[in-house]
Amino acid sequence: MEKDAKVAAEDPKVDLFEDDDEFEEFEINEEWEDKEEGKDTTQQWEDDWDDDDVNDDFSLHLKKELESNTEKS
Amino acid sequence: MAAYPGMSMGEAHRRITEYLNRFSDAVSNQDAASLRFLLSLSSNSPFLLSLADALNTFQDSGRLIKHSDHYSQFSDILFNLFRSLQTYRLGNLFDSYQAFEKAANAFIQEFRNWESAWALEALYALAYEIRVLAERADRELASNGKSPEKLKAAGSFLMKVFGVLAGKGPKRVGALYVTCQLFKVYFKLGTVHLCRSVIRSIETARIFDFEEFPKRDKVTYMYYTGRLEVFNENFPAADNKLSYALTHCNPRREANIRMILKYLIPVKLSIGILPKDWLLEKYNLVEYRDVVQALRRGDLRLLRRALQEHEDRFLRSGVFLVLEKLELQVYQRLVKKIYIIQKQKDPTKAHQVKLEVIVKALKWLEMDMDVDEVECIMSILIYKNLVKGYFAHKSKVVVLSKQDPFPKLNGKPVNS
Repeated sequence: MEKDAKVAAEDPKVDLFEDDDEFEEFEINEEWEDKEEGKDTTQQWEDDWDDDDVNDDFSLHLKKELESNTEKS
Repeated sequence: MAAYPGMSMGEAHRRITEYLNRFSDAVSNQDAASLRFLLSLSSNSPFLLSLADALNTFQDSGRLIKHSDHYSQFSDILFNLFRSLQTYRLGNLFDSYQAFEKAANAFIQEFRNWESAWALEALYALAYEIRVLAERADRELASNGKSPEKLKAAGSFLMKVFGVLAGKGPKRVGALYVTCQLFKVYFKLGTVHLCRSVIRSIETARIFDFEEFPKRDKVTYMYYTGRLEVFNENFPAADNKLSYALTHCNPRREANIRMILKYLIPVKLSIGILPKDWLLEKYNLVEYRDVVQALRRGDLRLLRRALQEHEDRFLRSGVFLVLEKLELQVYQRLVKKIYIIQKQKDPTKAHQVKLEVIVKALKWLEMDMDVDEVECIMSILIYKNLVKGYFAHKSKVVVLSKQDPFPKLNGKPVNS
């Protein structure tokens, strides 16, 4: 029982010595082509998303909210 | 754990001698691949496991090592390697690590004397094994209520190996692999500040040309240094490094790509770039989905919810603060929407935004703030150039610039 408790107490310590995101080792002679055709991960970013469109649900709700009770102050 | 009923003394003798011959042949033939195989304890290859059984049966391998000149010259390496294997087989990881470290030190002495870089592949195996064995030794220590210390020792050994490789000769291309093993050690121990000195060597020492290093090591290196840049909130540098890792990583290594993206996405968000949903789906990073949506919409409530829902995960990976700081960009988007909505109604007055209106919008988003608090936030947005405008204080109105009142980040992080 005591030993179990000791092990349990040590677990948090062992926990600290972790890196969830340890990069997997490549094989010594692993070879590959850099670019992949089609859905390339490097092409999956948008920098022109910040548009002036306010026809989405959120914006329509916002509009309704702002217009409501306009006479109340 | 004791008897090896299947093996006779004769058989044990034969297996041990076979290993010894293979070892000395590998060295005299400069056959790094064979040598690498002979050092890879953790691979649990049937050959090495049965060798371990043979050693535990025969018990006097020291005598065999001294038997022939071919391998007696490597007695320090071999004796300790055998001890490491024996104890490994018996599940005694602490002793196994100790012996392996001795073998590794002896190996380095020989390695130094070999002029060409023929044995680098074997050295890589040594570096890998010492880290992995140290991790297991530490787990054993911890489970016995003792303080783990072997991974730290492995780190010191790897620094020594780095020093051996950091010279003008052809062995220097091995330095990046060792660096990456060191990164894994330091990240695991949580002593990432120790990465600094190797990074400085790699990046500033004249003997190293980054392009000369093997691609796989460059990718791993950029992943870890990219993560360090994220910790330090140097987003442009983090973007460069993690994007490099992403571009050059083997596309088939999806686990690794996922890890790169896990850190790259918060960086991209911080410089105003959104990942497409396809990316989040494919690599199972859906914890970012609501954060992205919140930015797109200007939805502060959604951002807060997303941070709350995945708080543990974001804290563990160390990106929580980065994501939390996105709040300012979400405010910007919200105020911009208010402006556009107003413009639709009355274009002449749109550039004047009453603070009361923002209060109302925030209230709808379950954020209770008064006019003074909103004024404070707006002044921060103005200060950080997320909003161009000024206050008309008495009337509690923000007067927006007629030109580009909500400047885009254009790939740069918000002014700090």
